Amino acid sequence: MKLQDVDVAVIGAGPAGMAAAIKAREAGAEKVILMERAEELGGLLHQCVHNGFGLLYFNEDLSGPEYGHRFIEKVMDTGVTPLLETMVVRLGQDRQIGAVNTREGFITFRPKSIVLAMGCRERSRGALNIPGTRPAGVLTAGTAQRFVNVEGFVPGKKIVILGSGDIGMIMARRLTLEGAQVEAVVEILPYIGGLIRNEVQCLHDFEIPLFLEHTVTRIHGEQRLEAVTIARVDGQRNPVAGTQRVIACDSLLLSVGLIPENELSLMAGIQLDPVTGGALVDETRQTTVPGVFAGGNVLHVHDLVDNVSWESELAGESAARFAAAGKPEARGEIKVKAGRNIRYVVPQTISGRKDTTLYMRVSEPEETVRIKVGNITTKGMRAVKPSEMLKIELSADKLEKLKEGTQEIIVDCEKRGGK
Amino acid sequence: MSQVETEVLIIGGGIGGAAIARELSKYKVDATLVEKGVDVGQGITKYSSTIMCQGANVLEFRSEYHNSRLVWAGMSLMEPLCRELDVPFKRIGSLELVKDQAGMRHPEKMMRRFSNWHGKYLPADIEPLQFIDRETLRRWEPNVDKKYIGAVNDPNIAVNDPVRLTIALADNARKNGIKILLETEVLDISAGTDEFKVQTNNGSITCRYIINAAGEYVGKIAQMADADDFVLYPVKSYQAVLDKKVGGLINRMVLATGSGMVTPTIHGNLFFGISPGSQRLGKAHDHSTDKKLADAALRHAQELVPAISARDIINAFVGFIVFRNFEIGWHECTVGVSRWVPRFINASIGFPGICAAPAVAKEMIEILTQQGLRLEENSQFNPYQKAMPDFSDLSDEEKKKLIAQDPRYGHVVCRCETVTEGEIVEAIKRGARTLDGIKFRCRPGMGRCQGGFCGPRITKILARELGIPEEEVTKKGGESRNLLYKSKELLEAQQ
Ligand SMILES: Cc1cc2nc3c(=O)[nH]c(=O)nc-3n(C[C@H](O)[C@H](O)[C@H](O)COP(=O)(O)OP(=O)(O)OC[C@H]3O[C@@H](n4cnc5c(N)ncnc54)[C@H](O)[C@@H]3O)c2cc1C
Repeated sequence: MKLQDVDVAVIGAGPAGMAAAIKAREAGAEKVILMERAEELGGLLHQCVHNGFGLLYFNEDLSGPEYGHRFIEKVMDTGVTPLLETMVVRLGQDRQIGAVNTREGFITFRPKSIVLAMGCRERSRGALNIPGTRPAGVLTAGTAQRFVNVEGFVPGKKIVILGSGDIGMIMARRLTLEGAQVEAVVEILPYIGGLIRNEVQCLHDFEIPLFLEHTVTRIHGEQRLEAVTIARVDGQRNPVAGTQRVIACDSLLLSVGLIPENELSLMAGIQLDPVTGGALVDETRQTTVPGVFAGGNVLHVHDLVDNVSWESELAGESAARFAAAGKPEARGEIKVKAGRNIRYVVPQTISGRKDTTLYMRVSEPEETVRIKVGNITTKGMRAVKPSEMLKIELSADKLEKLKEGTQEIIVDCEKRGGK
Repeated sequence: MSQVETEVLIIGGGIGGAAIARELSKYKVDATLVEKGVDVGQGITKYSSTIMCQGANVLEFRSEYHNSRLVWAGMSLMEPLCRELDVPFKRIGSLELVKDQAGMRHPEKMMRRFSNWHGKYLPADIEPLQFIDRETLRRWEPNVDKKYIGAVNDPNIAVNDPVRLTIALADNARKNGIKILLETEVLDISAGTDEFKVQTNNGSITCRYIINAAGEYVGKIAQMADADDFVLYPVKSYQAVLDKKVGGLINRMVLATGSGMVTPTIHGNLFFGISPGSQRLGKAHDHSTDKKLADAALRHAQELVPAISARDIINAFVGFIVFRNFEIGWHECTVGVSRWVPRFINASIGFPGICAAPAVAKEMIEILTQQGLRLEENSQFNPYQKAMPDFSDLSDEEKKKLIAQDPRYGHVVCRCETVTEGEIVEAIKRGARTLDGIKFRCRPGMGRCQGGFCGPRITKILARELGIPEEEVTKKGGESRNLLYKSKELLEAQQ
């Protein structure tokens, strides 16, 4: 394929990119390329050998690689052109892509539209600023996952995990199965950071000690990690004097959050949402640069891959429409704002004329609540947690309730009953 | 265990030792440099703020100090040196900020003294200081706090990459005939009448002259030879590195008395730290960071540039500045022949030792000559060498050409810093043996994800190129292996 004729270029071939590329083809885009720096399609799914994928999308309980394979096959069947081992290193404001690989060398081209699907990266030790020395043996949970599941190595045999994100909990179980001793999972908040099902299946079932409201206050060891100090924290998340204890270990895994990977987006002049770390988008998943769309973890961090796939299909479909029309559709201009106990809402703007699903997270866990979307709709919920993304569907006819000239809609998480 | 005989032994492969080795390689001399680490430049040099050509600040650097004279001499030597060795060097200038009218006395005095000393103590070829008012300050540095009413601009200040410079100096010295022994730690020294017997972990070395450039450990080495006619005070100094994303917040180094400093780096990040004057005495060699120091440094940096946020920190570390005299601070240095042991020469500048290194190296030649060493010029000396390619810095055309020559340059391994397999292989060819060795030569793992992505990939490449199993790859030599076990190894051990 001549790169000069590309209709839709998708950057990143994880679950988001694959779904976007497939949908773009299905929606009529002639030439769709799927650019990926790794040697195969699938992104992080390859290293996620555990189950829990596809419960919503396929109504089946699949492993990461199985979930990925269904999409890889579809990529092939729908005639998407994969461009593997190709790293996009530049994205211009005019949609000009610069990429390198070993075959064509340095390539530049300008597709009619683009879907950003670069995913996210893990927060590292530097970002946490944990005091102490700088030995080997401190690594992110995802890197450890790659070593264990893809490369065939176990980082160590006495493990402490800081943070109770999903990857951290899954690695606690995985390393236990590999014969390592997980001494502790340490979480600074009073509640876990990942899904409940992972707390049950990965920690409780394997009797792995969980320390809530604790953090690692010091790293010990000159060359290889020798121990960490942990301590209880107060309401301000400051360590409480006298509660320190030293845990001997040779590895510290960090599972302390994911950051959308938006360096290319910034190069293209795309505006980001400071809360999600991803682009500001409307309900078609168009960013602030016309013809550039985004979906999946590059937009906001999801807890379920199923939602990543759905959201990216939307981005892929919109990109195909843009490529066909050759000009931008009117951008949604009604702002959707996070109100009481809502941390963020994606999309950040809507047109109010189409069926739309709002994805959101709460700031604090709460029970017996109601999510209220302006005067359009409400949804009662028994319990909400920051780790579990909420979805509210707004049908076009419900949106008709919007008054002419509405400029913003506020989404609140309200307490039900009492008051 | 080996037996080595050499005329001059340099102990320590930091910027100091490497600069001395390279200077000595201009002469026909049998000299050996020993470094205990797996690589050069991994001592204090690694922790510096990378600020070059300090010295024009004449209230800090004063004619009565030996240290200042070396720093001044270094001001004109650094740029040509970097050019010869193809190491990046960039003039950025610095602004010493003034908070209020009372604070104006400081710049006035500084400007006056500078003009008196320019061409006298200070090299004539350096740029004069200049006072800039509030409006100019706003225009030059819109992100500096609005409370400042002006600043002294020192246009001489530059940044470079001291570890790369050290590596380049050592490489160049080796090519010009100096022996360099890595992973060789000096354990004991006995001084005879004509020669020294030096015990290392790798055998013994007999030599006539010793140059002690052991950085943080100069005191310990001097003690071994009973040449410790001084006391050293290690002062802890904290620094943090910020994401390139905020690298554009300031264009010049900014500092204020009693506060810290913030500076752009040669690679486009920002650094912040506390100025050495306001640091605490630390436990020697304890390089651990602590929260108090980190919080104080952040507060100080935010005083200068309020937009700096803890969120953008990608790395932080502690280095030691070795004070010769706690009262005088870092001004007094340990450069010269021991008063007690002839031919035992100390070469340690507490601060700013990188700025001073080229001048210290020249002074060593004089001292060695005075101590009786006959030095004849090395007519074969070649001062030049080429840096390895830096893919991300090349133009599109150059990138294409390089990949056509070697497709491995088309394989990007580190996404944050855009480092290719070609560069990593070249770094290994040039002597990198560890993950840190590669990181300091071509930067994979220095970016925002700190090696999360490229770590497994580089481990593979290192193992392949060195012909060792992946579990034997280390972060920084010794016991710092990254992967302790193969899959199933632990399970099998339990059965
Ligand atoms: C936070 C901080 C910021 C700084 N900022 C600047 C700056 O901006 N500009 C500037 O000019 N200076 C700066 N400095 C000072 C500068 O970094 C030092 O002066 C300089 O790096 C010292 O170099 P060195 O070669 O003497 O020591 P080192 O780099 O420590 O080298 C000594 C070497 O000796 C080796 N060694 C030790 N013992 C033995 C042994 N027994 N056997 C064999 N080898 C041994 C060590 O492994 C080490 O590699 C800063 C210092 C700090 C701590």
